[in-house]
Amino acid sequence: MRPDEELPLSRKLPVDVDVRRELAYHIEERTRELIAIGRTPDAAAVEARAVFGDLDSIQAECRVITRRDRWARRRAETFESYRQDLVLAFRLLRKSPAFALAAILTLALGIGANAAIFSAVNGILLKPLPYDHPGQLVDISEANEHGWSNVPWANMMDWRAQSRSFDGMAAYGYGDVTVLTSQGPANTRVAVVSEDFFKVMRTTAAHGRLPLPEEHREGVAGVAVVSDAFWRSHLNATTDLTAQHLKTDRDYQVVGVLPPGFQFPRDVDVWMPLEPAGNATSRTAHNWATVARLKPHVSLVQADRELDTLTARMAELYKPDFDAVGANLTPLQDLLTTSARRPLYLLLGASALLLLAACTNLASSILARGMARQQEIAVRIAIGAGRIRIIRQLLTESMLLAVLGCVSGLVAAELLLKLFVHLAPGALRLSDVHVDGWVLVFTGLVGASTTVLIGLFPALRTSGAQPGLALREGGRAGTGRGERKIWGALVVAEVALAATLLCASGLTIRSLGAVLQIDPGFRPDSVLTVTLSLPTVVYDDDHKREQVWSRILDGVRAVPGVEIAALNNSLPLSGVDADGAFGIEGVAPNAAGYGPGNAGYRMISEQYFAAMAIPLLSGRDFAARDVDGAEATVMINQSLARRWFKDQDPVGHRIRLQSGMDNQGDNWLTIIGIVGDVHHNSLTRPPFPELYVPFRQRPTRGYAAMLVIKTRGEPTSLTPAVTAVLQQTVPEAVPVFRTMNDRLAGTQTDRRFVAIILSAFALIALLLAGVGIYGVVSYTAAQRTREMGIRMALGADPSSVRGLVLRGAMGQVVTGLGIGLVAALASTRILQSLLYQTSATDPVAFVATAALLLGVAWLASYLPAWRMARLDPALTIRSE
Amino acid sequence: MPQPAMPLVKGTLDIIILRTLSWGPTHGYAISRWIRQTTADELQIEEGALYPALRRLEERSWIESAWKTTESGREARVYHLTTAGRSQLKLELKGWARYVAAMTQVLETRPATALT
Repeated sequence: MRPDEELPLSRKLPVDVDVRRELAYHIEERTRELIAIGRTPDAAAVEARAVFGDLDSIQAECRVITRRDRWARRRAETFESYRQDLVLAFRLLRKSPAFALAAILTLALGIGANAAIFSAVNGILLKPLPYDHPGQLVDISEANEHGWSNVPWANMMDWRAQSRSFDGMAAYGYGDVTVLTSQGPANTRVAVVSEDFFKVMRTTAAHGRLPLPEEHREGVAGVAVVSDAFWRSHLNATTDLTAQHLKTDRDYQVVGVLPPGFQFPRDVDVWMPLEPAGNATSRTAHNWATVARLKPHVSLVQADRELDTLTARMAELYKPDFDAVGANLTPLQDLLTTSARRPLYLLLGASALLLLAACTNLASSILARGMARQQEIAVRIAIGAGRIRIIRQLLTESMLLAVLGCVSGLVAAELLLKLFVHLAPGALRLSDVHVDGWVLVFTGLVGASTTVLIGLFPALRTSGAQPGLALREGGRAGTGRGERKIWGALVVAEVALAATLLCASGLTIRSLGAVLQIDPGFRPDSVLTVTLSLPTVVYDDDHKREQVWSRILDGVRAVPGVEIAALNNSLPLSGVDADGAFGIEGVAPNAAGYGPGNAGYRMISEQYFAAMAIPLLSGRDFAARDVDGAEATVMINQSLARRWFKDQDPVGHRIRLQSGMDNQGDNWLTIIGIVGDVHHNSLTRPPFPELYVPFRQRPTRGYAAMLVIKTRGEPTSLTPAVTAVLQQTVPEAVPVFRTMNDRLAGTQTDRRFVAIILSAFALIALLLAGVGIYGVVSYTAAQRTREMGIRMALGADPSSVRGLVLRGAMGQVVTGLGIGLVAALASTRILQSLLYQTSATDPVAFVATAALLLGVAWLASYLPAWRMARLDPALTIRSE
Repeated sequence: MPQPAMPLVKGTLDIIILRTLSWGPTHGYAISRWIRQTTADELQIEEGALYPALRRLEERSWIESAWKTTESGREARVYHLTTAGRSQLKLELKGWARYVAAMTQVLETRPATALT
């Protein structure tokens, strides 16, 4: 609307005044008319009112109509003006498609990264567990001298019986075994659960029933319930379960199917009830994970305190065979997401920084565009457009960009999530993560803040144009000292953001590098591993196990291309571990009567060390002659030798196993050899004492083991041949193949994931900074064309002009770098817990960041500076 | 003996207002007076009923209003017809003519045979 166009007066009057006046006018005129035909004034007034009708209700009716009318008109006007803004914004973007495309791409990356990471945070960390009142579910572990550990059965029983804070407490354990079904063998994660387990989880059976309390007793007929997925894949989804049996160590009748969402413990497909009777009196066998449900209105702290009190009372009763000092309660949700929390929040923070970098970059482009339109805007202000109106119009363009950025960002997020699934460790469970309603809300909020971030500052700046000045300068604004400061600030911000991200990424790369430098203690190249779990219902005694592993080894060794074949029930980095106490001949046991040593227990075959290239430091390797009946032998690693034999040669000394690791008794075993240490549980944790026993003498734990096959060529090429051998020898088992290199890499996927994502973010931020610097330097240099022309006309040589531009730009870059490095120093500390042998202030990462940024910034500013120095002074001066 | 005034057929007030305004902009009182004079008080219109009708027409953008000073020097809410109002009037006049023709036809035709 033109400012000089007068609004109809009726629009300006308040509605009630407008109505009252109009009706009053009528009545007055009518009265006058009546007087004119001879009525007395009083009679005329009365009659005028009478023929008018009910004044009050007519007045009210008029008010309603006009109010409605005005409101509708105002709404239409507003809508129309927004529509005009939008159309104008669209047209302006269409006029510069390169800018539009670059801007939308930049935002798609920034917003997409945020939406993708937020999807993961939302789907993994924030989504409540799919159980009834999930906030009441807690994990209980035992606090003792080792820190914390699983709970001994007897302690759980005492807590369960004596505590008042819980609506149920249950112990459970799980493992991967081969389950024989009517459709053949299946590698399955099976849990054994105590009474109360399903009560605590508050689940019901979707089909059939849950185990009865008496079915938890030892010695009764075995029953099992299965997951929905297992039911569908292995039981044909049949509702008649009577014929469905599972065999592992014995026969189990399937009595029920759990509902589809039930996933606790994770990846378990079969649950078997158990309340162990024997071997359950130990107060130091930390074997049971424990889950409990808090009563309503009982806090975690109250429950924790109660268990601590109970534990102290138990300690007095059972010392010295008792090591618990209290209980640790953790919300189940936290327990299940604990490994994901730090990396995900870190990446969320990093993606926010990336978006800020993208916004800063765009803000400077938009500001430059605004400056170019300054004359047009000055004209509009001069003819009376309000500043708010101008700001709104400028913001509309930013909003349009942000909306387009959000839409393409959501597409990018879906793609990024697909990429993440390939990069991320399986434990992150990214495959369950999708863009959902909350992600849309989050993206909307991000989009709104983006609008403000990229648009508000340029809009304020541009709309603040002083008409007189801008018009006089012929639209050539942005030459002032103040303007230059603003451009400088934008460069500083971009550099600082890129520097922070680069430092963080540099640190994670350094840390990953440090991890990859770790010698695992073995050589993984050309080693194929095969996990085999023998159903104990078939291989139910030691002799059968020894026999079958012998046959397997013979068969595999005959396969062409196999150089060495061996086995180990507890391969390094496989996640399988077992340990126990051992006594040493001539060394007194500890106060509790056992030990004094403790070591990892590995059941292996001869040639295992050769296959893994673990060095034999002293003595000899196991041989085929180390069979049952021959001298009982054991091998130890270097850590055990150092810990218990100091400078003595342990070969020939004897030790014995005490903790029921197998059922071979506690006869003395002669140490026949010492081998190098390996990193068993994790590359980043130091090696610890380990002992190796030959499977031909102690096959008890041979119900599951891994074949270790050193191959001549590419390891996976042997998979079909080995599968054929195994199918013949052990048709009841399902082999799982994996190269040792893959296992090794698999242990570092979380580090690699964080490092890759952070580096990608940092590189994008670096690119944005480079492009941003280039743009700003080009723009500000162009503003100084005339000044430079004069300088050159007065005798300055091109290189000094170049230097002038470069110095100005690099000054800002160095300031930004300084700020960024300080910010990085302050913020990378939260990275520390994710870093391995890398300080959060690692100078290499910081120096590399500085060098990289300075290099990119120099390149980005050199080009415009060089162009400036090539200008013809005569032309530039006249250009004004 | 004077006959009682006829009640107004529903909806006809709108067409009367539009028709009146087609002679030129004027205020509500003048419209009211014009109706009284031209119909010689044959139409029974409560004078106040005119005003909600005017505002409804304004809401539909068939007429617009502005406060203006009249010859008597007083401020009055003066209405004028819009382009949309003008076409609406044409439409309604046509409709009215057809209505009258139809009424006349039905009231003045004798059936050829008795209606059963």
